Amino acid sequence: MNHGQQLDCALDLMRRLPPQDIEKNLSDLIDLVPDLCEDLLASVDQPLKIAKDKKSNKDYLLCDYNRDGDSYRSPWSNEYDPPIEDGSIPSDRIRKFEIEANFAFDLYREQYYEGGISSCYFWDLENGSGFAGAILIKKTGDSGNKLFKGSWDSIHVIEVQEKGAGRNAHYKLISTVMLWLHNSRAESGSFELGGSLSRQAEKDSAVSDMSSHIVNIGQMIEKMENNIRGILDTIYFGKTAEIMNKTRSLVDLKGRAKMDELNKQMAEALKQKQNQTPNKTAQ
Amino acid sequence: MSGLDEIPEDERVRIASDFIMAAPPGEFKEVVNDVRILLGDDRLLTRASSVFYDYATEQFTTVKVDGGDCLVTKVGSLDSAKRFVDPTTSKSFTYNFLKNEASEVEEVPRDTNVEGWREAVQSALKGYLDEVYPAHVSAVYANLADDMINLTICIEDHKYNPANFWNGKWKSKWEVSFPTAGGHSKVTGNMRVQVHYYEDGNVQLLTNKEVEESVQLSSPAEGAAHIVQFIKSSETAYQIAINENYHKMSDTTFKALRRNLPITQSLIDWHKLQSLKVGKDIMNR
Repeated sequence: MNHGQQLDCALDLMRRLPPQDIEKNLSDLIDLVPDLCEDLLASVDQPLKIAKDKKSNKDYLLCDYNRDGDSYRSPWSNEYDPPIEDGSIPSDRIRKFEIEANFAFDLYREQYYEGGISSCYFWDLENGSGFAGAILIKKTGDSGNKLFKGSWDSIHVIEVQEKGAGRNAHYKLISTVMLWLHNSRAESGSFELGGSLSRQAEKDSAVSDMSSHIVNIGQMIEKMENNIRGILDTIYFGKTAEIMNKTRSLVDLKGRAKMDELNKQMAEALKQKQNQTPNKTAQ
Repeated sequence: MSGLDEIPEDERVRIASDFIMAAPPGEFKEVVNDVRILLGDDRLLTRASSVFYDYATEQFTTVKVDGGDCLVTKVGSLDSAKRFVDPTTSKSFTYNFLKNEASEVEEVPRDTNVEGWREAVQSALKGYLDEVYPAHVSAVYANLADDMINLTICIEDHKYNPANFWNGKWKSKWEVSFPTAGGHSKVTGNMRVQVHYYEDGNVQLLTNKEVEESVQLSSPAEGAAHIVQFIKSSETAYQIAINENYHKMSDTTFKALRRNLPITQSLIDWHKLQSLKVGKDIMNR
């Protein structure tokens, strides 16, 4: 059993176990196979946790990309909580870009989510070919009577390969949206519908300065989120309901079978009648 | 974070059991295989293997016995936890959990003390199941203890489509105990649905509901009709409520999380967004 094989099995397992128990399952998985810890934390998406930046009194989101050891970096203060020595921070150029990105995606979030929290974290690529980032959004909501509750987590990871002396860039985006729905109406007992879907996209664009990246990445993420939103609608409210209704029918199957049989007999009778009068055209 | 201490073997067995127990319907083999490779020690998998019984009986796993579908359930298990009885055909069989195969099939004599009631319920139930379940498998168990007849009804229907990355199952269990002379008694029911969709993701529906009602059980035929009527109305109401949830959540909760488009009804002008930042900087000087 090699590392790669074990990681494949771990990821397959995480795709099968109920997503409602992601945190417990991930924790157990890391306990079971400690060698996979870093790989798992990097590849398994979890519902985003929120922390408060005490300096600015603003919320920010936690993920593997702003984590160093057990501390997390705030996009507002650029500091780690709890504080650590030599915590990994972006270069000046990227930090400046990160501030701009947070501002832009704050506005984006307001327009589409009308609330919620967003955070962007960027870092230089090790080989110096460009930079990468994580754009996170979290929104929760419930019905007035609190019977229906929902939660949305967007996790976008973008890689930017800078080319042509900074005049072109290749963007690679991997996006996951986690959607959690919960209902406590007595008529439906305990009801949970949740999980996540992932999609990828790539594109090449012209670049004039760092701000162009905001435009290019922003457009890519907006398009991607709108696309995933539609797919979530189809899968969550269409497909899973369809599968459920396939296991038990609200329509009387025996009654329907009788109707089908009757329709078949009528079609046969009509066909025979038409065969007896070949010169008349069928109605 | 490497260099973490290895957890004790008991913990590894516990984790392996928890994972297997949580396998979605239709995916038992795949999960066991994943766990086997992650454990990296078949000796530990053997230690965890009592979970195979827990899982199969919890799921009302179906198995072919002499060509017909039967259920694997706790109430139908015989002493060894490897042999089960199917009350419909009155046959017992050995069940291989990993292969999902029945063997050593034997005829089992029926219990005449309870067969009148058992058969009446089974017969009334079949009429109902044929109406609403495309591929139902069920079992009506009955036994006599301390002058009380105990009936347990197990129903399941599933649709597995791993080629298209989805599986779904409906299952319900109904229990009632009453004196041999008949009477008024409480029927309790538990209904459970699980759906798993996993193409480029992992989406699951997990829902269950408990119900209970007192029914009159004066004679087998009449009592059976009342029991089945309660099952029918409970299951239908539950399925309707689930579908109502879907409509409501799609219309309100989902829409309230993220809009289709901004209030302007058009995509964001990202160039304009940039100039806002510049404007803000100028204002902040």
